[in-house]
Amino acid sequence: MTALLEVRDLSKHFGGLYALNELSFAVDEHEIVSIIGPNGAGKSTVFNVMTGLYRPDGGDIVFRGESLLNRAPSQIVRLGIARTFQNVKLFPNMTVLENAMVGQHCRSRSGVFGAVFRTPAQRREEQRVRERAVGALGFFGSRLAGYRQDQPAFVLSYANRRRLEMARALATEPTLLLLDEPTAGMNPRETLELRDHIVRMRDELGVTILVIEHDMRVVKGVSDRVIACDYGQKIAEGTYEHVANDQHVIEAYLGTKATG
Amino acid sequence: MNRSGLLAGAIPAGAIGGVAIVYLCLVGMVEKFETLDVVGGSVTFNWILLLGTACMAAYVAVRPRVIGGRRVSADRAAALASGAVSGLLTAAVTGAAIGLGNLIGIDAVRSVLRSVSPVLMGILTLHMNAWVGTALLSALLIAAAVAGGLLRTLGSLPRRVLVIGAVAVVVMGLLQRIVPTALDQLNVGRDWLYGRVNLGLTTLGAAVVFAVAALAIWFGLGERLRVVFRPPAASERADGEEAHPQEAGIGSRRMGTVVAWLVVAGLLLVLPYLVGPVVSRILGTVGIFLLLGLGLNIVVGYAGLLDLGYVAFFSVGAYFMAILTGGQRVTFKGFQPPAFGANLSFWVALPIVVAAAALIGALIGAPVLRLRGDYLAIVTLGFGEIARVVFGSTWAEGLFGGAPGMSAITKAPIPGVGFQFQDDPRHFYYLALLFCLLAMYVSWRLQDSRIGRAWNAMREDEQVADAMGISTIRYKLLAFAIGGAVGSIGGALFAVSLGSLTIKSFQILVSITALAVIILGGLGSIPGVVLGALVLIGLPGVLSQFEEYRLLIYGGALIAIMLLRPQGLVPNVRRMRELREDERSQDQWAKDAVAEDLENAPEPAGGELEA
Repeated sequence: MTALLEVRDLSKHFGGLYALNELSFAVDEHEIVSIIGPNGAGKSTVFNVMTGLYRPDGGDIVFRGESLLNRAPSQIVRLGIARTFQNVKLFPNMTVLENAMVGQHCRSRSGVFGAVFRTPAQRREEQRVRERAVGALGFFGSRLAGYRQDQPAFVLSYANRRRLEMARALATEPTLLLLDEPTAGMNPRETLELRDHIVRMRDELGVTILVIEHDMRVVKGVSDRVIACDYGQKIAEGTYEHVANDQHVIEAYLGTKATG
Repeated sequence: MNRSGLLAGAIPAGAIGGVAIVYLCLVGMVEKFETLDVVGGSVTFNWILLLGTACMAAYVAVRPRVIGGRRVSADRAAALASGAVSGLLTAAVTGAAIGLGNLIGIDAVRSVLRSVSPVLMGILTLHMNAWVGTALLSALLIAAAVAGGLLRTLGSLPRRVLVIGAVAVVVMGLLQRIVPTALDQLNVGRDWLYGRVNLGLTTLGAAVVFAVAALAIWFGLGERLRVVFRPPAASERADGEEAHPQEAGIGSRRMGTVVAWLVVAGLLLVLPYLVGPVVSRILGTVGIFLLLGLGLNIVVGYAGLLDLGYVAFFSVGAYFMAILTGGQRVTFKGFQPPAFGANLSFWVALPIVVAAAALIGALIGAPVLRLRGDYLAIVTLGFGEIARVVFGSTWAEGLFGGAPGMSAITKAPIPGVGFQFQDDPRHFYYLALLFCLLAMYVSWRLQDSRIGRAWNAMREDEQVADAMGISTIRYKLLAFAIGGAVGSIGGALFAVSLGSLTIKSFQILVSITALAVIILGGLGSIPGVVLGALVLIGLPGVLSQFEEYRLLIYGGALIAIMLLRPQGLVPNVRRMRELREDERSQDQWAKDAVAEDLENAPEPAGGELEA
């Protein structure tokens, strides 16, 4: 069986800085894979290249047998890859529900004609978009339900902003979900809750998840497999225990052990 | 401490008020409006300007402020004091200007500043000796300022009642050429309301107008109207309609809505015959600019693409309509047909014009897709100028008539109906009304749809919108195309209303006016665009005395709006949020941070790795 996602020799440099240096890895369907690494290891760059925000300088990304190179970000979302951002990026002045409905954009198709004449097809679709958006918000239980849905996104608490961003990504009905430091800035209780959410996304929604995470409790709790990066290269891969005890990984995090 | 803070604000406000008064004198408004009677032959508009400025300066000065992190409203003594200080400053600046003028000599000043005349000086000194007159003027200004300051200490409701009552009196007084005509049409006696000798309101009339406006506000008419006219909110529509039919409130409210809209529709239909042909022509112009505003609102208000070259679509609409409906070039040998032309009916030509404008909109949009904000504005500015140059150029003379322009443009007849859109402005009004309603309907439907959401998301964050599956290229082009199409209808109607075109009508000023209309009204808000067009196009048209000050008023109104009410007169809810976002989100962040600190001591992340 071929992998759902295959990253082959991916390179990206900014001037002299090699953010990605011939990075290769693969993700199978229904897997949860964590990417760890110190700051500046190129983790977010992988996501930005995969979602079409950056153009790679070399290598290829193959998703369900199709190359993602030279595709616009909006096309990549339609193929089934959704993401969240490291520093939460919502549409702050749209309501919570509208934010989630934007996620459904790529799964709907009505145009100017439908909007102006409010055709039955358009109304059905709008109803469906709304229901699915509510459904995506409902994934987080009561956190984003009820009166909150009509509030503008900017009044949400920090943790709820993160949840809304994930709900918006889920609303795009993704096959592969890229989460960029989903627990950053959350308190321990929220972090544990989110850890369960990530596992549930895979188990209940059947989404494959690639997650960048710093909090090792989360990494340990969710990962089927861990990929450790440094300087844009893969330095270790395997189960959490394997990677956590890898000499290169420890060096990357703590610095080289003084020898002699 | 609080008081000194409030007083400190009064000084600049008063000084600005004084400068504003000197400015009003220098541009000639004070002298010119000496003869514009508002109430009973005694209250003329120039005095309303003078005292109103002093009053407003103090009113602004006494606004609640944030001092030391707390919002402080002035108490009565503080309001009195800072009102007086503000008035004193206003009077001092005005008095100094009068003194300076007298010192240099009126004639000497007049050779540079044309408006400084003995008449003006006479007005300012109340036709008395210079010293006594200036002292009296100062006293009046200070009194007005104190009144403005005290106005702040009233509760919100009485304050609104007073202000709106006074504004209603002034507006009715200024409408002295229109309202009496309308009343005459209706055969309603009007001598109790408007004087025959002094054209303004009679004292009784002013009292009645004030009382009516005040009572309307007192009983919350504004709030009620807002509830009645508001379209049902999205959430109500989703589950309110079927889920709670037993609630009598919704049913009766819907009834009220229907009745209210019928009244509005009826008024719109009889309006031209009430106000007469002159005002109907002005309303027709309002309609043309309303179309421009609605179109530009789609581009700027919805999609967030600042377009300063919108006049391009106006001219495309006008010129294409001209050549498609048998317009003739004006040459020194008489009328000649254009190189490419057709003799179509208006109704056949219009769809072609609209399609062409949409196509041109997309073509203009294509090369600037990657530009944002300021850069986009500059490039579109260039497109606007290119359009003007092309339509007015000698080398395209055979097509568009060059500098002399086009004539004999269609009268847009409807077969079998004796409507004369060109000859009777009252008939043209209906044509404009039809298309304005259409454009409003389309705007409204688009805004509340998948497309509107995509535009919104794109305006808020283009990159994220793209990453969430919205093809920003597609939606930018769509905004340019639809906005251009709506604007071109405005141009086509403009051509029909005049029957002839010259390139002088297609200056960049059109773009600026359209932009001013939507900014004044509130970006992204359809009622806002209507109000903006009425205020910026309708009012100066109706008050023909103001015609020469039109641009001054635009400038002043825009500055005041941007400083005092940046969300516009009738703001779009979302825009209002955008402008307040910074304060609020900062608050929220601060609260969150404190809450989190209290809730848990920080734990180092990644602790297990080392272990």
